[in-house]
Amino acid sequence: MLLRRTDLPLDRDASGRFLPWLVAVMVYLAALALICAIGANKVVTRWDQGLAGRMTVQVPTSEEEGDDRADEVLAALQAIPGVRSAETLGTEEIARLLEPWLGTGAAYQDLPMPTLIAVRIDRAAPPDMTQMRRRLTQIAPGTVLDDHQSWLGKLLDLARSVQLVAALVVGLVGASAVTMVIFATRMGLSVHGRVIELLHLVGAQDSYVASQFQAHALRLALRGGVLGLLMAVLTVLLVANLLGQSDAVALPDLSLLPIEWSLLPLLPLVVALIAMVTARLTVLRTLGRMP
Amino acid sequence: MRFEDVSLRYGAGPEILRHVDFHLEPGSFHFMAGPSGAGKSSLLKLMYLAQRPSDGGIQMFGRDVAGLSRGDAALMRRRIGVVFQDFRLLDHLSALENVALPLRIGGQRADKVRKHVAELLAWVGLADHLHALPQTLSGGQQQRVAIARAVVARPNLLLADEPTGNVDDRIAVRLLYLFEELNKLGTTVVIATHNETLVSRFSHPVLRLTAGEIKLSRSPAMSPAMTGSRPTKGSAA
Repeated sequence: MLLRRTDLPLDRDASGRFLPWLVAVMVYLAALALICAIGANKVVTRWDQGLAGRMTVQVPTSEEEGDDRADEVLAALQAIPGVRSAETLGTEEIARLLEPWLGTGAAYQDLPMPTLIAVRIDRAAPPDMTQMRRRLTQIAPGTVLDDHQSWLGKLLDLARSVQLVAALVVGLVGASAVTMVIFATRMGLSVHGRVIELLHLVGAQDSYVASQFQAHALRLALRGGVLGLLMAVLTVLLVANLLGQSDAVALPDLSLLPIEWSLLPLLPLVVALIAMVTARLTVLRTLGRMP
Repeated sequence: MRFEDVSLRYGAGPEILRHVDFHLEPGSFHFMAGPSGAGKSSLLKLMYLAQRPSDGGIQMFGRDVAGLSRGDAALMRRRIGVVFQDFRLLDHLSALENVALPLRIGGQRADKVRKHVAELLAWVGLADHLHALPQTLSGGQQQRVAIARAVVARPNLLLADEPTGNVDDRIAVRLLYLFEELNKLGTTVVIATHNETLVSRFSHPVLRLTAGEIKLSRSPAMSPAMTGSRPTKGSAA
């Protein structure tokens, strides 16, 4: 019986009812934001690695000269130092690439499709792109060299935006947690004013009172944080499962590595730590202002 | 404890205490008597550091109270046991836990104090109510829990505000014996009461408060055989 931890009946406070739920929602949002940021980073890394050292050359079709120009461009490419390989994409390959937009069995043969040449370059000794572009357009005017950097740059911008938003969400969650705990702690100090006064009169220091508030805040925040994390993990597993069934290759991969999974429990721990420190500082500041 | 020309007023109100000047030596035993509204509770509040004087100086345990930090004031309060007139028991704690509170705050291990606390509660006649919550106890029982809490840490100074107001004479005398036992161990005791009959049964000096002013007088009747008290020390001006 004497091992009772708190002299203040904080468990009866309203904060005990609303704080865990609010922390759960905040940790849920923060966890999702972090997972999205990780996913966006993975998309960029995957595309960057996948497209590294590759480019596509589009040679416009000419009715007069048929495929001759494309063959000349291919031959010129293969002769350029720094080009490891160059090969024209076959009709089946082009059909596969167009399938997501035009559907299966579309009659794309009637469309004025350019000839596509997939080029792999030596990343250690890449060719001079300006010279290469000039040489190819001399052979076939209108030829386009796409090294995918423009597309990759936009993807990178998008990923950075997602990460920025995630950081903002995490920051807002932290700020909200601090505000909530300050509010709940001040409310507790007000509600239990007489008990705190008695504790002081029998010799309690401010730190003794603060230790009870901080332990209470830690308990509530941990409870809410674990709940929020569980909800976030369930959501991610559900969405990852849905994404896994989709063929949309540009969508983020939400399957986390073991190291990433192991970092997630840190989120409720950090929030609980923030709550604990905030409660302690709030009590010490408030009581310290008293005469 | 030394009060030097101490005055007290709350806000812009009238002076509750006027130029109070006295000195209590360590180990002394005093009653504080006076009619309601004379300032007994206010004087006690100054003694247990719940109030700062409007004017004058207070020295406790050789230190000037005005210069104490919050932390030092808390440490000094651990040397003071207080029986409040309204008991101030914590409703959500049992009698045992209420009494153990000063020990727990003082950092003593709970398992080590249980026996001591239980014995003390038995001494004040509450052996069967160790785990009772205050609201289930009578006024007299709550008062005894409050007294046990005040003395459990063997304070250097014991202050009691009407500690026998809710108990019958037999229990009142028994409780005063407890205070005397504590006094014999070296605790300075000040008991505020308006029960002149009770005061008259003991030989201790009386600090008389009238309209905020204090005078030292002797109890009209002394009964050393009954109280078993030793000669008391103290002076007032």
